[in-house]
Amino acid sequence: MSDKLKQIIKKQTQKENENLDHADDVVQLVGFIIGDEEYAVPILSIQEIIKPFPWTRVPQVPKYIVGVFNMRGAVIPLIDLRTKFGLSPKKHNEDTRFIVMREGDDIAGFVIDRLTMAIRIKKSDIGPAPDTASGDDTAIDGVGKQADKIITILKVKKLLKRDF
Amino acid sequence: MDEFQEILQDFLVESFELIEQLDQDLVELETRPDDLELLNRIFRVAHTVKGASSFLNFDVLTHLTHHMEDVLNRARHGELVISPNIMDVILESIDLMKALLNTIRDTSADSGIDVSGCVVRLDLCTKGYGDVEVPAAQPAAPKAAEKVIEEVVQEEVSSGDELDYDNMDADELEAEIERLLNERMAEDKAKRASKLSSSSASKEDEDDSEQEYEPIVNIPVAVTPARKPASMRDDSDSMDDARAAAPAKKQSTVEQTIRVDVKRLDHLMNLIGELVLAKNRLIKINDDVEERYEGESFLEELNQVVSIVSIVTTDLQIAVMKTRMLPIGKVFNKFPRMIRDLSRELNKKIELEIFGEDTELDKSIVEEIGDPLVHIIRNSCDHGIEIPAIRLEQGKSETGTIKLKAYNEGNQIVIQIDDDGKGLDVEMLKRKSLEKGLITEKEADNMSDKEAFGLIFKPGFSTAAVVTNVSGRGVGMDVVKTNIEKVNGIIDIDSEIGIGTSMKLKIPLTLAIIQALLVGVQEEHYAIPLASVLETVRISKDEVYTVEGRSVMRLREDVLSLVHIGDIFEVERILDSSEYAYVVVLGLGTSKLGLIVDTLVGQEEIVIKSLGEFLKGIDGIAGATIRGDGGVTLIVDVVAIMDMAKHVKSTALIDTTSDAAMLTHEKTKASDYTVMIVDDSKTDRTIMRKALEPLGVTLVEAGDGQEALAILKQGDYNFDAMLVDIEMPRMDGYSLATEIKKYNRYKNLPLIAVTSRTGKSDRMRGVESGMVEYITKPYSSDYLMSVVQRNINFRSEFLK
Repeated sequence: MSDKLKQIIKKQTQKENENLDHADDVVQLVGFIIGDEEYAVPILSIQEIIKPFPWTRVPQVPKYIVGVFNMRGAVIPLIDLRTKFGLSPKKHNEDTRFIVMREGDDIAGFVIDRLTMAIRIKKSDIGPAPDTASGDDTAIDGVGKQADKIITILKVKKLLKRDF
Repeated sequence: MDEFQEILQDFLVESFELIEQLDQDLVELETRPDDLELLNRIFRVAHTVKGASSFLNFDVLTHLTHHMEDVLNRARHGELVISPNIMDVILESIDLMKALLNTIRDTSADSGIDVSGCVVRLDLCTKGYGDVEVPAAQPAAPKAAEKVIEEVVQEEVSSGDELDYDNMDADELEAEIERLLNERMAEDKAKRASKLSSSSASKEDEDDSEQEYEPIVNIPVAVTPARKPASMRDDSDSMDDARAAAPAKKQSTVEQTIRVDVKRLDHLMNLIGELVLAKNRLIKINDDVEERYEGESFLEELNQVVSIVSIVTTDLQIAVMKTRMLPIGKVFNKFPRMIRDLSRELNKKIELEIFGEDTELDKSIVEEIGDPLVHIIRNSCDHGIEIPAIRLEQGKSETGTIKLKAYNEGNQIVIQIDDDGKGLDVEMLKRKSLEKGLITEKEADNMSDKEAFGLIFKPGFSTAAVVTNVSGRGVGMDVVKTNIEKVNGIIDIDSEIGIGTSMKLKIPLTLAIIQALLVGVQEEHYAIPLASVLETVRISKDEVYTVEGRSVMRLREDVLSLVHIGDIFEVERILDSSEYAYVVVLGLGTSKLGLIVDTLVGQEEIVIKSLGEFLKGIDGIAGATIRGDGGVTLIVDVVAIMDMAKHVKSTALIDTTSDAAMLTHEKTKASDYTVMIVDDSKTDRTIMRKALEPLGVTLVEAGDGQEALAILKQGDYNFDAMLVDIEMPRMDGYSLATEIKKYNRYKNLPLIAVTSRTGKSDRMRGVESGMVEYITKPYSSDYLMSVVQRNINFRSEFLK
């Protein structure tokens, strides 16, 4: 009897530990499409995802900065990731979204072509950025491997950094 | 540790506040050395700081303040006359005190500053210049103070419940004791002065103190002399006194202010900003609702609510703005001391007169203008006011006067600095600038006096023949200009040789909210700070001349150089520019620039928002604001624009490179032709569709004018013609046609009116707005088809 009990307790603690390990190891990401590629950023760096609405063009800035928009009283820069990644600009359609990302005091909205989904991915499944794209300059944090595809994970800090 | 930090913070805030007042008091003291009230106040500061710093274990600071206190104490007792030399030492010690406090603020310790020299000098003052009985008298006051502290502490321990000392912190206690001491001093003095005693008054007095009530403060000091001298009092008596004083102190000094972190105020201001935006939208919606549900009973109620919300929001906004306002006296306070030091240093006699120190300004501006004012006043002392001998020679009084005035003028605050010195010599200014290569000979000749005065703000300019310690290093005045411009202010100089110089700094009341002129260029809007707008002029295109590759126009007597806002901000020319344009004449000091815009939208009060870290420092943009419709409008940086205008190439007002190519696509099949049908009635649209379908052309439908315009703007189709109904909600056919014709791209797009309106005037309006055909309902489908075919140059071989 007591042996059985012990076993059950042991099992339970084991399970709990497993769960803990599990939580520790998993990164939650939000995936989105730009061009033909799927990218992702950590869910915690996203402040909100909104449907496109009017913005104001800002002069004397690189092309990928489309302008500024008003988010509840704050003036926030809007960056077109297509242009930033060297793709041709595309008309906004009903799938287009603005993802507002924040890191510390830095905040900006990013235009993406389409959202995919929230992804849970094990840390062990995330590989480093390819050699050709590593170093301080890259906006790529790593590559997440999934059953049928790979996802490029972006560095939010790098995206929010002014580089002009 | 945290608790200590908290106490330390309080201590620092209090000390800095005390010291601010101190400088002014000390300078005043020099002119009225026997003002007891003033002396007491100064003594109190030294004493408070000493007490608190000893409690916090800042030994160096305690040491210094202790010796300061000695000197002041002797002065207070009339044993020492404050001579300028002694004052120098006292001021030096106060500077040291400031330095120590700064060190404490930065490092939480008071080490690293040597006070021994100053302490020795302070001691010399107490000993050397005082009278003979120094050693005995000197330590009296502090000892007494300490004694009382002991007493109080003991008392507190033994009978804490009886007293409210528990609720007092160290500083309050200190102040309390201080008060007691002062009272006793006053009593002593009064007693010595008059031996007259009124027993009734003393009785009343004692009664009062036994009852522990405040009236004691209301009794003039003169009626208390009957009391025993302080030294002979017993403990209980002094405690009585203390108790009596405690509530009194509470009453008189429980300030009606609280300290608030500026961050919180800023946050509040942001929230209010959002509220204002929400209010603006609410008003807009209210207007729409009113239009739609005219005559409904609930409208009145809605109206009331909206107007209440709007009034309260406006009041709230003003109230919060006011919390950020500080009296300019905060800045002015340090000048009496500065003038005193300067006049001694320069061997000049200078008097400073201050007016309007109660004038209030936004906190951020108060912080910005401190340094420029220091520079200007130093300049006046150094270069403006002459040395006494020369002044006498010229028949002026020996003492020079500098007047510092602050007053409101409309939406601005004016700070005026006048001196009665030698004034600015225009010829000398020009010669100097020529020597230094700041201007050319030609410029010098054409310069007005005002412009010549402005030369002193040029970087690298310095009029002092001898470079002194005080000013004349060639920095300074140009920094003044930059700083003032940073807060959107301007500087105005007036001067007359031999009479003096007057400088006016005109600064907007607040940085957060400004008046702006909203202008339109193509489809964009920009806000120009109204303070820099001199006037607006409407011109026709043939009034613009080109000189050396630059656009100029004649404005009354002057020639004004022009720049198109679109050239500065790289605005795409989509709309056809109309016959007329508007010129906004910008003025900054003496320079002027005409900014060509397409339309003037109006004047509005705008809330300035920063563009944030990511977009800061964009040339020509000072910030952004959020408009009533929720859109963002950029604010023009006038200073930068003036500079940018010099490098921008002027483009012709008429844009010749319209993209007509877009419209002439090669048609290879019937569906290459695209026609838009604009009608609010679904039935009518279907009828037209049915009539045109046999042609095989692509058909796009829109339910009203605005929808049609949106489709056009998107540019997904290249339209060959449009069928437009006249009567539609939101935007009717005429306005739609007018709007469409504004676009270069659609200038030649055939617009066909399809309507049941048959009046002649209707047809005329149609033609005026740019319609090429006018089809009246009902029509036969063949007729419609033929009209469309004709207008889109439909090639007959596509017909099946």
